[in-house]
Amino acid sequence: MVNMMLLWMLVAQASGAPPPAIDPAPPAADERKRMVENVDQALGAQAQPFPSGGVNVGTIGGVPIGKLMLIPDIAVVVDGALGYTTLSTDQQTPSALVLPQHKAWPFLQEVELALQATVDPYIRGDVFLTFDPRGVSVEEAFLTTLSLPWGLQVKAGQIYTPFGRTSQLHRHQWDFIDQPLSMQRLVGLDGLSGFGGDLAWLAPLPWFAELHLAYQAAAPGAGEVQQLTGTGRLVQYLDLADWATMGVGLSWSIFQADLPEQWKNLAGADLYVKIREPDSRSYLLLQGEVYGRQLGGQTLGEAAWGGYGQVVWRADRSWEAGARYDNAPAPVAFEGGSQQTWTALAAYLPSEFFRLRVQPSLVVLPGGSYGFQGIFSFEFTMGAHGAHPF
Amino acid sequence: MRTVALAAFAAGFLAAAASPARAAVGVLTTTEGLAAVVREVGGDRVKVSALSRGIQDPHFVDANPSLAVKLRNADLLVDVGMDLEIGWLPPLVTQSRNGAIQPGGARRLTAGNFVSPMDLPTGPVDRSQGDIHPSGNPHFLSDPRRAVQVAAAVAGRLSEIDPENASYYRERLQAFQAKVAAAEKGWKAQLAPFAGRSVITQHKTLTYLLDWSGLKAAGYMEPKQGVAPPPSHVASLAALVKAAGVKGVLVENYYDRRPAEQLRDLSGVKVVVIPGDVGGTREASDWFGFVDVLVKSLVQAVQ
Repeated sequence: MVNMMLLWMLVAQASGAPPPAIDPAPPAADERKRMVENVDQALGAQAQPFPSGGVNVGTIGGVPIGKLMLIPDIAVVVDGALGYTTLSTDQQTPSALVLPQHKAWPFLQEVELALQATVDPYIRGDVFLTFDPRGVSVEEAFLTTLSLPWGLQVKAGQIYTPFGRTSQLHRHQWDFIDQPLSMQRLVGLDGLSGFGGDLAWLAPLPWFAELHLAYQAAAPGAGEVQQLTGTGRLVQYLDLADWATMGVGLSWSIFQADLPEQWKNLAGADLYVKIREPDSRSYLLLQGEVYGRQLGGQTLGEAAWGGYGQVVWRADRSWEAGARYDNAPAPVAFEGGSQQTWTALAAYLPSEFFRLRVQPSLVVLPGGSYGFQGIFSFEFTMGAHGAHPF
Repeated sequence: MRTVALAAFAAGFLAAAASPARAAVGVLTTTEGLAAVVREVGGDRVKVSALSRGIQDPHFVDANPSLAVKLRNADLLVDVGMDLEIGWLPPLVTQSRNGAIQPGGARRLTAGNFVSPMDLPTGPVDRSQGDIHPSGNPHFLSDPRRAVQVAAAVAGRLSEIDPENASYYRERLQAFQAKVAAAEKGWKAQLAPFAGRSVITQHKTLTYLLDWSGLKAAGYMEPKQGVAPPPSHVASLAALVKAAGVKGVLVENYYDRRPAEQLRDLSGVKVVVIPGDVGGTREASDWFGFVDVLVKSLVQAVQ
């Protein structure tokens, strides 16, 4: 029928004949249109045209002119630091941050370039490129569906694995200058990420309950070798009061381990509590996670365990303080055992886009020896205003 | 007897099926002020709730995932726009899976698109000017002229979503317009003796109201938008207060009052604490109560 219509239109266009009459719209649609017109007429000059499908420059991004030109929101986040440690390289490894011993060492942590925009009425796109002394990498580059039925949402591309809480955060979303060593050594030095897809189902419940199922080629640990990875995560948020919210999550990743030293199973549980009076900028965050990891050559009983607990207090719009206890598998300088790290944090935020932090840590190594590490960092953001992390 | 009962039940069922009771339109707004305006227009044909509370600074609402659950089933989302909610609303809307309320969606109404904005930047824009809103000042709802414009936009959109009740929304809108016009006369009468006088405000939250009232802002506690007042700025404001004869400083109840109190100690200016939105105080329980409190506070600040 459609082909016949197209054929007729082509012939009619060639001959100059008018197209056939099209069936009028159903009466219900006519009636609806008439009602809206009546309201418009009654409202007179106050009835401004509705931006049906139009650009809402006030809400969808931080660069209104860019929106008009279809340029994505662009933001750059720069993190730099000065670090000092009494630990040797072997006493720090594996870690995303290995400092020269007994030297006050300045270093660029990361430059993140974020490009974010709605792609079409069905998906949005987010790209995060990372520049650091190791080179350029794609931290994340993914699409997100906006309106799938049944509470479903798909993220596809280079994504953080939906495992745990802190391992999915970008650097500028971390409260502390570094990630807990328990996460780095049991999950991945830079978290766990890879190319693939994440199907998330928002359960039809009165509270937030989301189930993730992800399939990726992800690189756990030092991130050198990719393994096929299946992940499940259930995360729930409950409002305990109008000043307290609790989040709980359970995660499990299964890896295809071809070698004994490769990751085979990874389990995690996370707890998050935010206490904030609605009329205050001050808040208290309590957060903790435990991880268990089984390598390909290990039995479940031989699995390594670790975790951390932290508290962060935002005193006002400018000052923040925190403390963290971390229990991680020992560094390569030791045969086994665990390392405990006690960390304090003080942060000053002159504005929403600039943060200064200082973070001293006391490290207790297997056998009872001690070490010290101190980091001072600055971070600034240029460009589009991103969302505040919850 | 049983047959009669069954017949009555069937008749009742058929009657109900023939004229089904239409559920109220579920409207979510980002602020309590917008919720109050929607309530004025929508009456009992809408079920309205707000994502934030009037006692909160609307720039810094938590992007609590629980709010995404509310957004999931919203028939209409009304937001302020002009970047007011940029720090928390976008991720929640994406998380909601509600396609119709995405930016540009048929069930998304951004109130800022229906008012003429003030404080639009006239030159290059960067953050050396503070945490600015490049598309204009989003604090327009305390201005009766713009509140009526927003109400008209809400009535139009509700009529699109719920055409069977279009005449109801039209009548409610007209009643709201009349009620605002009547209230304006009273408010203007209270303010008339003080026309041309100046106040200091914490943030540029009263720009539209001052423009409507014929009063002026001599200065702001924030040296730049979103920047906390340093002592040097408070000292310069003290000099300004004395030079310009300013008698009052207005501070929303969610801001730190200590800098304004320092200014009071330095210059003798009155500190008048005001609600930031509908619901910000007990008296500001609806839009009229909110504006009423603001007008009384302005009078108190300029006397």
